[in-house]
Amino acid sequence: MTGREGRAAPMTVPAAEALARDVRLYVFRRAAESGRVPQPAHIAQALGRPQAEIHEALKQLAAGKVLILAPNDGNVWAANPFCAVPSGFRVQAGEKTYWGICIWDALGIAAALGKDAVIRAPCGDCGAPMRLEVRNSRLAHSEGIIHFAVPAHHWWDNIGFT
Amino acid sequence: MLLFRDEEHIDRWCSARDLSRGATLTPDQGWRLAHAWYKDKLRPEWRRHTLEETEALLADVGLAGAFWDLRGE
Repeated sequence: MTGREGRAAPMTVPAAEALARDVRLYVFRRAAESGRVPQPAHIAQALGRPQAEIHEALKQLAAGKVLILAPNDGNVWAANPFCAVPSGFRVQAGEKTYWGICIWDALGIAAALGKDAVIRAPCGDCGAPMRLEVRNSRLAHSEGIIHFAVPAHHWWDNIGFT
Repeated sequence: MLLFRDEEHIDRWCSARDLSRGATLTPDQGWRLAHAWYKDKLRPEWRRHTLEETEALLADVGLAGAFWDLRGE
């Protein structure tokens, strides 16, 4: 037994993997349904598990590059493509608003949802607002150019900068 | 990955940060890459792409060359 804030009791590998899968499904479904990425306390409550176990599951998912944790507090920064905090990359799909951590993820939100979406993003240089629109799984309106600053094999060296 | 109004704005952004220019994609390439990358992310059976799958996915969008080499040095 553990307290809700206590250390996670050792779990067998299959049990840990099963929990990580449950956490993954819950986090991404919730993010897609609500536009908000759930955090550890919320996930623990929803799944009826100690928060320490949820933290371990999130660490496992982060190690597998399934999602990204904030540097210091164990919260989810991005269940990519869904960013947990408002950003300049805003996606409107139906009645919901989502945020991506970059233009790739903003487009990825429309792809993951499989819905029409309007993406608003600022020019990285001057901040001028730009708009892209996905309709029927195609880019129906676009402007600008996407720039990748980091070569592909270094993307995960510093995913925040990438 | 940022969106810029045009090439001049990319050059200015890189210069201000003393960064080498990276690689550019058209928005349509960006959409096709994002779609291939994320279209299954909500599915229960989702798993990360293998290295080979990722290479194929980049190639399908027309992204080739050293910048897109996932194996690196």
